[in-house]
Amino acid sequence: MTQPAWLAHYPSEVPHELPPTSFEILPDLIRAAVETYGKKVAFTQVLPNGMNGSLSYEQVDKYSDHFAVYLREQLGLEAGDRVAVQMPNCLSYPIVAFGIFKAGLVLVNTNPLYTQSEMVHQFSDSGAKALVVIDMFADRLPEVLSKTSIEHVVTVRISQFFPSAVAGVIRGTQKFWSKTLPKITVQHTPFMDALSVGAKSYSEAKLAGYVSGVTRSSVAALQYTGGTTGVSKGAMLSHGNLVLNTLQLISMCGDYMRPGKEIVVTALPLYHIFAFTINLLGFWHLGAKNLLVPSPRPPSNLKRVFENYKVTWVTGVNTLFNALLNERWFTDSPPKHLRASAAGGMALHESVSERWRKLTGTPIVEGYGLTESSPVLTFNPLGGGGRDGTIGIPVPSTLVKCVSEDGSEVAVGEPGELLAKGPQIMQGYWNRPEDSAHAVVDGWLKTGDIATVDADGFFTIVDRKKDMILVSGFNVYPNEVEEQIAALEGIQEVGVIGVPSDKTGERVLAFVVTGSNPPSEADVIAHCRESLAAYKIPSAVEFVSELPKSPIGKILRKDLRALWLAQQNNASPNQLKG
Amino acid sequence: MLNFFLQDPAVVSEQDVVTPFEQTLLLGLVFVIMFGLGAGLTPKDFLHALKRPKGLIVGWFTQYGLMPLLAFSLASIFLFQLPIEYAAPVAVGALLMGSVPGGTTSNLFTYFAKGNLALSVIMTINTTIWALLMTPLALFIFGGLMFSDNPEWQIPLTNIVVTIAVMLVPVILGMTIRRFSANAGAILELLGGFFGLFFIAFLMATWVPRNWGLLTSTPWQVYVVAIGLGLFGMAMSFGVARLFRIGGVDARTIALETGILNGPLAIAIVLLTFSGNPAIGLILIVPAMYSLFIVIISTLVTLRFRKSNLAEEQKIPNLL
Repeated sequence: MTQPAWLAHYPSEVPHELPPTSFEILPDLIRAAVETYGKKVAFTQVLPNGMNGSLSYEQVDKYSDHFAVYLREQLGLEAGDRVAVQMPNCLSYPIVAFGIFKAGLVLVNTNPLYTQSEMVHQFSDSGAKALVVIDMFADRLPEVLSKTSIEHVVTVRISQFFPSAVAGVIRGTQKFWSKTLPKITVQHTPFMDALSVGAKSYSEAKLAGYVSGVTRSSVAALQYTGGTTGVSKGAMLSHGNLVLNTLQLISMCGDYMRPGKEIVVTALPLYHIFAFTINLLGFWHLGAKNLLVPSPRPPSNLKRVFENYKVTWVTGVNTLFNALLNERWFTDSPPKHLRASAAGGMALHESVSERWRKLTGTPIVEGYGLTESSPVLTFNPLGGGGRDGTIGIPVPSTLVKCVSEDGSEVAVGEPGELLAKGPQIMQGYWNRPEDSAHAVVDGWLKTGDIATVDADGFFTIVDRKKDMILVSGFNVYPNEVEEQIAALEGIQEVGVIGVPSDKTGERVLAFVVTGSNPPSEADVIAHCRESLAAYKIPSAVEFVSELPKSPIGKILRKDLRALWLAQQNNASPNQLKG
Repeated sequence: MLNFFLQDPAVVSEQDVVTPFEQTLLLGLVFVIMFGLGAGLTPKDFLHALKRPKGLIVGWFTQYGLMPLLAFSLASIFLFQLPIEYAAPVAVGALLMGSVPGGTTSNLFTYFAKGNLALSVIMTINTTIWALLMTPLALFIFGGLMFSDNPEWQIPLTNIVVTIAVMLVPVILGMTIRRFSANAGAILELLGGFFGLFFIAFLMATWVPRNWGLLTSTPWQVYVVAIGLGLFGMAMSFGVARLFRIGGVDARTIALETGILNGPLAIAIVLLTFSGNPAIGLILIVPAMYSLFIVIISTLVTLRFRKSNLAEEQKIPNLL
């Protein structure tokens, strides 16, 4: 087989294949950083008013050892048991996550803003036996716990590990001012108590024992992903998946990530796979200082972060970069020490990347991946070789191809489903052998994304396969229609879906959010006619006040479809009358 | 020389208007909130404001152009319907009230109104620094106009300059502390706001019942001046800001900032400058009543502004 075209576009310092590593499992990677960076600050949590607390590499290591011992000795959990974790970015998070890995247990990341039914589904599907939860959200537990297998609850505070005077003020504010500390009625152990219990029966031999049977293929995390079918499934990410993907992405960034020198803003939630692998594992391995932001909403919450620290890296989604570019304090004094930024999770708009580069004078590149691939599959090379609008080229030791319905590779420039193979591909979906068999075939992950590849091996996402609209036998990609509509003045956001039609099988429907100077339905359709083929023109335009979005800001087309269906059902009596 | 106070049976002593305990509390309040204000500031904030100085310039104009003129007009129209021996000292208080810089409580209200906090803070700082020059100047001009016949009512300007200069010390102190510890800065900022609100609430709760007699015997004209200064001040400065094509959020910030004057500072200036003057009680009436009513006015205006500002806030989807 000939060498893939993209290898020629790797920066000179990036290896084609990932060199062999001595790290077998996550605790190896975690401890290696502690040995090198010891007393250096690993995490600083920054609140909107500038209040902050920090933990060194050594402290995180020590506390996570204690937490591992607590989980195994006190709670009696056994290797492979699942522990659900539900908290925003805070200093406790790395300790909890690393403690779970060191204990040979399985981490189940959970969005703290989940509804009760979402929590019940995720906790019972994963069979989690313990839950580590932020106290602010623990009031919903009584209804949830009885429907799950959770036996133990540990609570953390948002102010945990802050200097005591600061922690006291935060606590007081939460209690008496913002009233964000509900009474917790279920039995629970405060995090610090758990750590001191763990510290008492700690021994190195015990810790070694916890992971004696853990190998690269052992599951380290169940990362739940909604997919488009609606049922949330747990992607089984192994120690090997996460260790190797961490090394893959770091090697792809070459000299832009300097060991021991970076200061990275972590504004995306760590429970999301993007921030989990890149910010938590990647920048930990690099010996960086990680600035944890509990909530980047509103974007002014990030002001003190950029003011008080010499930020060198920002990772985020299009929405975040765009929001920062619309903040005056940010554009008036852009970060001086910034080296590079990485975007993922959703398409990075070219207008955003251009403005970002112009303002900061540093590169911003887009990568691509899925929860099922730990997540990084492709990345644009830093240092000038990147191409806007593309998702870049595969990271080392990764194969990516676009195939047609029959499984054969499509020609350059032709759309086909993106398939990927590499050490970062998941072990399958938890307790769903059938779904797993459909998702991963002969080691190739079917991403469900339609993409094209150019002659140099740069991939471009066309759309989600499931979102493709079939109008009279022609393929319509919602992204293409959305881009066209978004370019019209007065349009803030747009979502395009296909709905059933008697005449054409499916028809195109556009939902728009307008700003000042809203265009009419006729304006939108006329604008589409300028550059889209007739079958791609929306049959109707619905004006709405907002669009349903995922936790990281992706527009959820399946929710739009549900919304439309609900509207149809409500409307039918009136239609009958009319 | 006339000495109206001995002739006037309804003489008001400063001890009635502001007790020695309250005087101490007020000075402490000014210190604490100025300190908290400084603790929330970085040199970058100044840089930002200077880069885009339009709001700042318009705010400066409404503060020192509009407010003293408004105070002068209100006092001239309404107060001098009253006997001169009562009207003159009250008018001095009104003029002084209209000439002091923006207060830090405006930062709190701007915060609650979801306005442009940076602009509000910078305006407060800017007008406070300018107060060294502008407060005496405004008093010199309007005082001169008002009391051209009564030169004994000219306001001693040197004392005012010294008082304001002293007030800037805690700001610099706060900034210095913040420079070395973001945590200490944030706590001081928070405590400044908290004690600011607490002191104001405490002073109102004790002052009103004790001065009930004074409040009921005070002529309506004084109420018009004390309330109008804040209310018209906000309305007019909002109009001026919009006239200069300043955006909604910033215009509302300027309105709050301009309308909410530094009441405690005005009272402190009166106490330090006119101590021993038999008319000090009457001079204090407008600053005290203004400080009382501005809390109520600002609360109502803030609720209204919050609605508009929220509608204009940058919406970013659920990132958490």
